[in-house]
Amino acid sequence: MIEQEILTGVKMPFCPGCGHAPSVKSISKALVNAGFTPLEVVMVSDIGCAGLVDPLFNTHTVHGLHGRSPALGFGVAHGLADDNKKVIVIQGDGGATIGLQHVLESARRNVNMTLVVLNNLIYGMTGGQVSGLSTNEFKDDRQIDDKTPPFDVVKLAHDAGAVFSCRVTSHRNFESTLTEAFKVEGFSLVEISSLCQPYGAGKMTELEAWTEQEEVLRNKREPLLPPFKETSSLITDKDVLHAEFTSNIKDRYGIIMAGSAGGGVQAAGKLLANAGILAGLESTMKGEYPITIGTGFSVAEVILSRNPINYTGLEKPDIAIILTEDGLIKIKDKLDADSEILADSSLQLEGFTNVTYMDFTKIGRKKGAVLSAITYWMIESGLMPIEAIVKAASAHKYADILLGTINKTEEGLFDQVG
Amino acid sequence: MKTDTVKTTLIDGSKIITEGLVRAGADVFIGYPITPSNLFYSYGQKRFPSFYAAPDEITVMQWMSGFSAAGKIPVTATAFPGLALMVESLNMAYMMELPMVLVIVQRLGPSTGSATTGAQGDLAVLNGIISGGYPLPVFCPSNFEDAWELSEKSIKTAIEFRTPVILLTSKEMIMTNKSFDLSKLGQINKVAKPELKMNGEYKPYKPGNDLVPPFLPVSNTEYQVRINASTHDYEGMINKNSPESLGNTKRLKEKFEKRISELTIYDHDKEEGAEKLIVTYGISTDASRDAVIEMRSNGKKVSLLILKTLIPISDEDMDIMDSYKELTFVEENISGQLKEMIYGKRNYKHIKKVNKIGSMIDPHEIINKVL
Repeated sequence: MIEQEILTGVKMPFCPGCGHAPSVKSISKALVNAGFTPLEVVMVSDIGCAGLVDPLFNTHTVHGLHGRSPALGFGVAHGLADDNKKVIVIQGDGGATIGLQHVLESARRNVNMTLVVLNNLIYGMTGGQVSGLSTNEFKDDRQIDDKTPPFDVVKLAHDAGAVFSCRVTSHRNFESTLTEAFKVEGFSLVEISSLCQPYGAGKMTELEAWTEQEEVLRNKREPLLPPFKETSSLITDKDVLHAEFTSNIKDRYGIIMAGSAGGGVQAAGKLLANAGILAGLESTMKGEYPITIGTGFSVAEVILSRNPINYTGLEKPDIAIILTEDGLIKIKDKLDADSEILADSSLQLEGFTNVTYMDFTKIGRKKGAVLSAITYWMIESGLMPIEAIVKAASAHKYADILLGTINKTEEGLFDQVG
Repeated sequence: MKTDTVKTTLIDGSKIITEGLVRAGADVFIGYPITPSNLFYSYGQKRFPSFYAAPDEITVMQWMSGFSAAGKIPVTATAFPGLALMVESLNMAYMMELPMVLVIVQRLGPSTGSATTGAQGDLAVLNGIISGGYPLPVFCPSNFEDAWELSEKSIKTAIEFRTPVILLTSKEMIMTNKSFDLSKLGQINKVAKPELKMNGEYKPYKPGNDLVPPFLPVSNTEYQVRINASTHDYEGMINKNSPESLGNTKRLKEKFEKRISELTIYDHDKEEGAEKLIVTYGISTDASRDAVIEMRSNGKKVSLLILKTLIPISDEDMDIMDSYKELTFVEENISGQLKEMIYGKRNYKHIKKVNKIGSMIDPHEIINKVL
């Protein structure tokens, strides 16, 4: 195996004296040393001078965006998990700055790839601006009044979980370090401190004075590879409901249920919608609640209809079930003064003329109050067969509790107060 | 009339889309949680052969692109704030010509807006999302049957056109439960990847007659594969101003135009003698259907055009619109984004708009405008 097979032999595109050229040569030698043939390697490159490497390699190449190549390489490595390929990502210090999250995430997840950071202390392609990896010694020399210390990407990768992370300098023979990094099972990072003749360090003595010392840091970890697994269909016949009861709803009927978070409103809404299907109707169920859990309102809208339901909006409900003050505030705008309302007896609704107050919370407790109210409405209105809600509740994982609430409501254990 | 073959269940659109995508051959779901797309995240975790929780939406698109380059079909779901972070990487995947599907669940903007309020506000963004004005295919389901069929179509288009594809939905389509007859869902088979015939040579961006270059993943052991987000030649090498590489960039538009009939999907509910046409898509379709039923029952003649491919719009779509004297565009956004995409910002007497934010447009708002 000779080095030429990894490299195309295309002339290096870098400025005279640039540290990237010896880096590329060392990468190719190290790949040979580690036993890789060109098509066993996927070279993922970033934007910037470090991103000019594609034409130099006979490997597979993927050329992406500024700073994002460690994430792109991550996807390639996991996508190829069963193909035993070596993924190498090359980026500069600018790329490692803008995409630091991707470096850390790749290390944290210990993806099987090597990231080579060509750190020449500078943004070379855009005129020599400093990066997050530019050292203060270098900035002092340029009389840049910025005392912010640089990121130490080697230490950061180590702390995030890299199996192997190391800094080397581009004038030394660091082939063996790269070879070791390429052989690592898991995430390895090699930062190469290198020259940038036009804008950065022009001499090796400068580079040595301005860069951090070489070091190797290791973590003992196995690569993490989530397997591709067999899964089963989300849509199965076991959720199919057959129309086995009949309803007295003539056309379309809208029920709004308004309570508080943790009050079982959403679950009760689904039970009612399922009961509708069991009673031969079309149904829709829409939930609304704040993004917080366990506090604030919880509203469910159910439409039951003889005909197919297209539009699912419910501007004016045929009946409103109101359990709490939170719920009342949320749905008040949908109600008229004479709207038909079933309310918990703990409430006093001002300005409404058609309210029936019942002890739903006493019967169903906090979580069953809505179901109690639904059951009461079914019995009193005669619009829906009680068997349908019993059947819907029987299929629920908390069937015993739900059926208990329905039974107690049926037995009429109410204190009617209004 | 209910029969024994009816299989009714209470279901939401996200379950249907997740299942449809996986059956059509999606391999991996990569997500970052965002309301109102979270049901995809939880269904994706259960149903996809592989699932990844990325640390942000830029990472999502980059990981997806890597998986796609490796020959897998990735899917994500997000809302506008997530899409905004993905834009640069989406352009990358488009330029690289990597198959993948992004489900966008629209919510009320601008900015973080209202996470739990539905909307149709992202079409204009999607229409201009690829720098240079190249078309990114956007499919938009109007009901659960569409959700199923367009999931398959999205995967098929992604593979056959080598492109990212958008499946544009809204909170209401994704989260509202409806009784639905499962027997209406046809068979979805895994979309076959095109068979490639190489004669000892492979150039990753040299197109065939269909203007789509044959795709080989970077796992290939015989041919070198180069994938590139910068302006590139047939070999995938950066080359910023050769006729070949500029031709390659132009081809990104031409490949969709050449086979636009494969992409164009709509329902034209045509009433004989009608001079008025309602044009709508996505979540405003249900109200439009009800409005049409009511108007017709009152003896009014009106037709309905439901567009299911929003980008690219085809001459076939335009010919239908041209055949009516009066159009009414119905969409849940403030400016009428579909109308503006087709007819610009100028107002015309024969083109009406029904627009709204904050809640769904109801059938009577449509009837009042049309009549």
